[in-house]
Amino acid sequence: MIRHDAILASLAVAVLCCWIGTLGTWRMRRPTQALHYLALPTGIGAIFLSIAVVLHTGWGSASAKTIAVCAVLIVTNAVGAHATARAIRTRQLDHWEAREQEGVEFIRKDRTA
Amino acid sequence: MNPWLIASYAIGLCLVPCADLCLRGTVERRLVGLELSGILITILLVLLTLGFHRLPFIDLALTLAILYLGATLVFVRFLEKHL
Repeated sequence: MIRHDAILASLAVAVLCCWIGTLGTWRMRRPTQALHYLALPTGIGAIFLSIAVVLHTGWGSASAKTIAVCAVLIVTNAVGAHATARAIRTRQLDHWEAREQEGVEFIRKDRTA
Repeated sequence: MNPWLIASYAIGLCLVPCADLCLRGTVERRLVGLELSGILITILLVLLTLGFHRLPFIDLALTLAILYLGATLVFVRFLEKHL
C-alpha cells in the first residue's frame, strides 16, 4: 500500500515538473530564458519517473532501461541546451564570445596571474 | 485506466503548448519548442509502455532519447549557419 502511494506520488511529481517546465518554456519571452525550463522535465521529472518505475517493476530490465533513459535525458539536455544557446547568440551577434562592452565579468587573456 | 495511463494523458496535454511553440514565433523559439517536445515524448513513451504492460517497448523510449541529441544538434547547426 505504501509502495502504491509512493508510485502515485512520484508520478504526480513527474507530471507536475513536466507541466511547470512546459508552461515556463511557453510563457518566457526570450528563447534563452525558455531554455532554462527544459531542465525541469529532464532533471527532476525523469528522476521521479525512474523512481516510480523501479518501485513498480522492481530491479530488472525495465528499471535499468528507464534509468538509462533518465541519464541520457539529463546529459543530452545539458549538451543540447548549451549548443542551442550558443547558436542563438551566434545567430544574433555573429559571435558567441563575451565582449568587454557587454559588461560580462570574465578574465582577460592578456592579464597574467 | 491505471495511473500510468492517466499520467501519460496529462503529459500528452503538455504537447499542446509545445505545438504552439513550434508553430508560431521566431525560429529560435520554435527550436526550443522542438527540444521540449522531444523530451516530453520520451517520457510519454516510458509511461505508455508501463500503462499498456508492454515492457519490451521501453527500448523505443531509450532509442528516442539517444537519437534526440543528434537531431537537436543538426537543427542547431542549421540555425547557427543557414536558417
